[in-house]
Amino acid sequence: VKRRSLLKGGLVGGVLLATGGVGLGFWPSRRTYQPQAPLRVLDEREFAILAAIAARVVVVPGARPDTVAQRVDATLDMAPLEAQRDFKRLLLLFENAFFGLAFDGRPRPFTRLSTADQDAVLVAWRDSRITVRRAGYNVLRKALVAAYYAFPDSWAAVGYVGPPRIGGVP
Amino acid sequence: VSGYADAGAIPEGALSADVCVVGSGAGGAVTAAQLAAAGLEVLVLEEGGHHTRTDFHMLEHEAYPMLYQEGGGRATADLGIGILQGRAVGGTTVVNWTTCFRTPDDVIEHWHKAHAVNGLTVADLRPHYEAVEQRLNIHKVGLDEANRNNLLLYEGCKALGLPVDTTARNVRGCFKSGYCGMGCPVDAKQSMLVTYLPDAVAKGARVVSRCRVDRLEVEAGKVARARCTVLGRDGYHPTGAQLTVRAARFVLSAGAINTPAILIRSGLGGGGVGRRTFLHPSVGLAGHWKDPIEPYFGAPQSVASHALAHPSSGMGMFLEAAPLHPMLASIAVGGFGAVHAGRMAELMYMTGHISLAIDGFDASEPGGTVTVRPSGAAVLDYPFTPRLAQAMREGLRTLARIDLAAGAEYVVSGHDPAVKIASERDIAQLDSAPYDVGRLAVFSAHQMGGAAMGDDPARAVVRSADLRHHSIANLYVIDGSVFPTGLGVNPQESIYGLAHLMADRLAQVSR
Repeated sequence: VKRRSLLKGGLVGGVLLATGGVGLGFWPSRRTYQPQAPLRVLDEREFAILAAIAARVVVVPGARPDTVAQRVDATLDMAPLEAQRDFKRLLLLFENAFFGLAFDGRPRPFTRLSTADQDAVLVAWRDSRITVRRAGYNVLRKALVAAYYAFPDSWAAVGYVGPPRIGGVP
Repeated sequence: VSGYADAGAIPEGALSADVCVVGSGAGGAVTAAQLAAAGLEVLVLEEGGHHTRTDFHMLEHEAYPMLYQEGGGRATADLGIGILQGRAVGGTTVVNWTTCFRTPDDVIEHWHKAHAVNGLTVADLRPHYEAVEQRLNIHKVGLDEANRNNLLLYEGCKALGLPVDTTARNVRGCFKSGYCGMGCPVDAKQSMLVTYLPDAVAKGARVVSRCRVDRLEVEAGKVARARCTVLGRDGYHPTGAQLTVRAARFVLSAGAINTPAILIRSGLGGGGVGRRTFLHPSVGLAGHWKDPIEPYFGAPQSVASHALAHPSSGMGMFLEAAPLHPMLASIAVGGFGAVHAGRMAELMYMTGHISLAIDGFDASEPGGTVTVRPSGAAVLDYPFTPRLAQAMREGLRTLARIDLAAGAEYVVSGHDPAVKIASERDIAQLDSAPYDVGRLAVFSAHQMGGAAMGDDPARAVVRSADLRHHSIANLYVIDGSVFPTGLGVNPQESIYGLAHLMADRLAQVSR
């Protein structure tokens, strides 16, 4: 049965994701962020990439990219195996310097770009004509903002006072 | 095993019953209660955990992993539509926003004419709706019970002369705290957790949680047994233990997406299993107001407009409100970095109004298709079509006019980058905005179809008079997956009413 998926979002998208780790993808990532606890789904390089993206997506005083990335790793643990695999490949593709050069004219891994260039990469994925790049931007963006705003440490920034004290609230 | 049991606490081996019901949501719980009341020995299997009032702390980071499919992260195959679907004892009824409608009469007429649904009439269903409305205290609420998010939708519709009304809700002594989507902390919501499941258990039914049905095994034209995986305390990872369930009859009530997946994993792929899955794909518009809205407090939904439900051509839509707690809002609001943070800082002053596309009525609309991945997980492929794009555009245009008429300072679409509208003149920007995968936030809280009822075995999985499988003599499907189209209304009551009727009919032949 033919189905579309992150991997099959058009032929280009399939090739892109399947080869996310080759070519200039071997250029080491800058590991600014380290996991605070054992990872469940991601490896340390994937974690560092995700946290670097988190640093540009969740720009709120007090928000920590490593904390947000760690929460995404925990959420991924509840996803089907195929979705976990796609997410990991997406991170490597996002980081990959070869595809960065080919698509966005930036011959460096995402983690080694300036913050302004990192934002430009996010915009390029967001506005891409290739469905899999738009979907990739969205899945990263949604996973990261959800991981931040689901938790009480985000409430002050949005003026939310939290739930009332009723029922099962301890 | 008696009453409620966690699968991990049951010795590995075989269980048996007169009827095995797979799933404990709107379809499964009502079915189990009806069959148990008729004196049958009923065993309910549920993949999710058994969580109750004191577990519901009204916290998004706890509720979504605990109570939703894939921790709240379920989405269509190309990630174009986020899917909010429950996964717990009580199913989606534990987390739904309590809006109740009977199936519209014209929808049932359409099924009769276009989908060979000959064994089900409006008159057949009426007494069963009355019964569930009484049991679940389903009653129309007053406008005085609407929070500002809903009230402004109502006022905007009135200002434009659009038909709008308050909705019926399945609540009893509601605190109007606003956390229906995270499990009711005071048992006011009349979910299956506090109604039909306890009714079933009182009549001897057993409910086994954290028990995932991998496949049904068919021998000589009948389901002989269900093979099940026991899930651990985290609710997602198998313990390694297996359970086998034997029963005279099996009822699939795992909901749209998961019921078709069980059929496919069981090699029962006939009748278009998995095809024609419908979602009421929903797009949102954030209104921004001078005064605080606090869109997270108060009954999440109490107002609806069906003004656009019956267009002369194309796909119809209906309009409702959605609660905006921080996480749900953060996903719906487009952008990243400072842009996103700036939008989120306005949360207190935002309304969230949604347009739900009514899919499945136009012959050119294929709906979605469920398949099974190598791991066994279900995945739904749901294409964006020109008609869906048109419905999303038209819905947003109307919501923008409604919010501006009600006094919003400006409104912002779920596009990324967002479309901001401050006056009637700006609304044209919504026409040129893109409506494709990844261009705007699209959600579904209504999953329907994928194992359709109908009397043509080439196009339907189960017969319409009793929801029995067309070729497997002791297999039934009683849940939202039997609907041949979307409903044009929130689906929970349609599932309750249908299950109440069909379980009655099943009890007649099972005794």
